[in-house]
Order: sequence, then C-alpha cells, then structure tokens
Amino acid sequence: MKLHLEGSNTMNSPREKVYSLLTDPNFISKSLPDAEDVRVLDGSSLEAKMKLRIAVVSTTLRMKMTVVRTAPPFKATLVAEGTGSGSSLNITSVFDLSEESPTIMAWSADAEIGGVMAGIGSTLLKGFATKKVAEIFAGITKAVEAAA
Amino acid sequence: MEPIFQSSVDEVSRLVGLEDDELEILEDADRAASELLVSEFEKYVERKYNPEIMGVLKRNNLMGVPIDREYGGRGARQLVEALFLERMGQTGMGVITFSDVHQCLGSLAVQDWGNEEQKARYLPGAAKGDVVFAYGLTEPEAGSDPASLKTSYARDGGGYRLNGSKYLISNGSIATRMIVFARPQEGNGSPTAFILDTKDKGFSVDMRLEEKLGLFTSDTSMISLEDAFVPADDLLGKEGKGLAVAYSALLNGRIGIGSGCVGVMEDCLNQVKERTTSRVQHGKEIARHQLVQKHVAIIESNLEACRWLIYRAALKKDEYERDPNSLELRAESDRLSAVAKYMASRCAFESADRAVQCFGGFGYSILSPVAKHFLDTRVARIYEGTDEIMELKIASSVLGKQFEAYR
Repeated sequence: MKLHLEGSNTMNSPREKVYSLLTDPNFISKSLPDAEDVRVLDGSSLEAKMKLRIAVVSTTLRMKMTVVRTAPPFKATLVAEGTGSGSSLNITSVFDLSEESPTIMAWSADAEIGGVMAGIGSTLLKGFATKKVAEIFAGITKAVEAAA
Repeated sequence: MEPIFQSSVDEVSRLVGLEDDELEILEDADRAASELLVSEFEKYVERKYNPEIMGVLKRNNLMGVPIDREYGGRGARQLVEALFLERMGQTGMGVITFSDVHQCLGSLAVQDWGNEEQKARYLPGAAKGDVVFAYGLTEPEAGSDPASLKTSYARDGGGYRLNGSKYLISNGSIATRMIVFARPQEGNGSPTAFILDTKDKGFSVDMRLEEKLGLFTSDTSMISLEDAFVPADDLLGKEGKGLAVAYSALLNGRIGIGSGCVGVMEDCLNQVKERTTSRVQHGKEIARHQLVQKHVAIIESNLEACRWLIYRAALKKDEYERDPNSLELRAESDRLSAVAKYMASRCAFESADRAVQCFGGFGYSILSPVAKHFLDTRVARIYEGTDEIMELKIASSVLGKQFEAYR
C-alpha cells in the first residue's frame, strides 16, 4: 500500500548549517523519536529499532536509513527500509532547502507499507503519518535551531 | 474533498443545484471528517467515548447545521444536512449518532415546536456547541411503543416535577439539555415534551453504557429523574402533545441516520477497493477473484440505491417544510424517510459484513477499518425506529391507515 505526504517547515538557521545537520547520520540518530539501539554505520547511514504506535497497537521495525546528498546545500534524499512484527516499511523522502535564513524546507515522502500495518488502510495511516511527521519535524526543527 | 463524496456533491449540484454557502458547509464537513479520523480510530479501539467529536464539530462550525441563520446556525435545508451527515458517516456511526441526536432530534425539536423565547434561549447556544442536546424518549419498558412510557410529571408551583428513568439515551451523560417526554402523574393523559436542564439536582446519570456490541465512541447512558424540576417556560409545544413532537423529531432523525449509513457504505467501498487491489493471494490481487468482485458489486449497488433514496427523502422533507400544513406532504415525507432509513441501515450492515469478508482474517479485528462499521451499523437497524416498525409504517402507507398493525 502506497502513501504520499508532503509539506514544508521553516527553521531559524542558515541553510548550510541546516543541510549539514540533516544529512549527518549522527544528528539524525539523536532526532529520531521512539528509537532504540541506534547505530551510526558510516558517514551516510544508520540503523535503529523504531517503535510505531497506532492506537493501542505497537509495532517495532528494524530500520536502515541512508542519506544521499543529491545537491548540497539544496537537496538531499533519505531512504529508509525496515521490517518487523509482520509489517514492512519503505520510505523515500526528498527535501529541498530554499532561502538563506530562515531556511524553508519543502519535503515530500513516498512510503510503501506492507503486512499487518497495511491492513489498517491508507486513509487512517495517512492520518497517523501526518500527525507523526509533524511531531518529528517539530523535534528536528528544535534540534537544528538549538545546534545553530 | 474525499473523492466519492465529491462525486455525490457534484451530482447533486448538477441535478438539484447547491448554493455557495451550502458548498462551504460541505467543505467544512470534509475537513472535519478528516480531522476526526485518528481520534475516532484510537477511541474505538479503546472502546471509549470520543470527546474530540464535539471539539472538531465546534471548530468547524458544524454544531448547528440545520439551525436557522437567525439563531446562529448554518440554515441548511434537509438535503444539505443529509450530505453533511453522509460525509461524517465515513468516519463511523459514533460521529453520526452524536450529530444526529444533537441536531436532528434535539435542536430541530426546539426549532420546530418551541416558542420564540425558547428558540432564542437555546438555539444560538446549540449552534455554537455551548448547549448540547440529548433526546430522552426511550425507557426500559417503552422502546418501539413510546406511548407506553412511564416517566411522569406533576405541576409544582411555577413548573413541573418529573420522575422516571430513561434508557439507552445517546448523549445522555454529556448533554446540557435533554428533550424529555413524560405523562401526567394523575389520569390517562398523553405525554408532554419538556426541555430539561441536566444540571438540575433531580437529574442523574445512573450509568454510562459501555458494554455495547459497537458504537463505542458514542455516549449512551441510563438516566434517572427524581423530582427533576422543569420551569413552566421549558414545556415544549403544547401540554399533552408530546408524541407529535417525538414523531416529528424522529422523522428528522431517520433521514440523518440513513445519511450516515450512506457514508459508511462509501467508506466500506473505499477500503474494500484498496484492500482487494493490493492484497495478493494465489498469485494475483484478490480483486481479480470473481467471488470477491461480487462483494464489491453489491456494496456499490447498495450505496448507489440508498444514496438516491436518502436524497429523495430529504428533498421531500424540504418540500414539506415549505408547506407545513399539507397533510399529504407530511405523509409522503414520513413514508420516504421510513423507506430511506430502513433500506440504508440494512444495506449499510450488509455492505459492512461484505467488507469484513473482503478483509479476511484481519477484517475480524477492530484494527481493520471496516470492523467498526460492521459492529456499528447493527444498531442502525434498531434505533430511531426498528426495521420492524419501519416495515409496518411502510406497509400501512401503501395499504391505508386502517391496516396499521402496530396499534
């Protein structure tokens, strides 16, 4: 089952700094919510156990994330793949940074969900994902602005 | 807008016409339904009442859709109210039950039967959500036969004292005002309708009924009245004419429930289409299996048929409202709302059952998006007029009043 989300966030930080943090696996590893056993593998990838909670149901996925610095300091792609608890999740998200400061990040994410989680249906999953993504970006924005 | 709903709106707009302010109500409904998705699911799985329903409706100015604009409502005709509830129905019958009781049974009872002072006192608050209505008709021993209700009233100074119990009351423990029906304590008089303040010390909630087969996000309560006081100026309509208030409210409510059932069928169709075109068994998507296609065809056919029955009933009700003295229009409106509610509730239950089947083993879990519809639509064949009462009403509308079998 496929999902598409998109949005934008504003960060009070210079673009170069934002780009450098968002493509740094060490920074990403500290910004992931509900993550355990986080390991930075090299300069562009990390893995972690991510707990996804939908209502009273928790699913733990072992995810591998890879950053591709497509066009610094403007564009990058994050590819995340994982499985666990009878479900699978593959996400490709692209972000574009415009303006110098504050930096405006336009992002889009395409997810493919399989297994038990897919049964919940895209309408509901999109609702949950939108809520979760908003939380994640709020966390990232706070961390980026604190680091600048 | 959600695509199936958009097609309903486009078709109605093309055939009947919708004004800009009516389209605005429907856009607000579309947004509200999306906002409610997550909390409805979470609360349903927890089997708990969802307080977000009221919050979202208030934020989107949807607490007083059918209330006249002069009282702060959106002034929607029945057809637009039906479309609003159709969209909300996609999130489930819990949302419909709250809306239908507050707006169709409660607010419209005051709008249709109240004097100007009562309308000015309650309707602006109801439109904003500061006043929340419940409808206290059913009792442990008076369900399909409301004329046999036992709650009684007696005059007391500048008002009335009410005593009795009301059972299976939607919004019962969250309402600020309840339309309550009671008969005179002395003699064999007919029931009277009252607008009761639930903060009165004689009103109490005995229990919140959480042990239901479904409808978990809707508040259902049993309430007691012990010398509950109603001031004289909160008598609704005329003394002894409460059943007329009750039956006219139910006419409004039945179209509302039927509209919600149409929304349920739309969601079932959406979910089934997504599931069957992505799940692969025996080397192909299950949508390619003919017996699965049968389920899809029946759900779609149920939806199309009921959608237009509801719209027709709503249009007839609108016609009746323009000529309220017409007994013929009243009878036609009553007949069509019974047919529409009867068909929509049965078709929604059947569609939800087929949707669960299409989801296979996962469909048997309330984590699936269709299980809740299966559990919730069962009550649509009971409340606001059981299947059996609807059948008798429909039959007597064809055969003639002299053949009424439920008297």
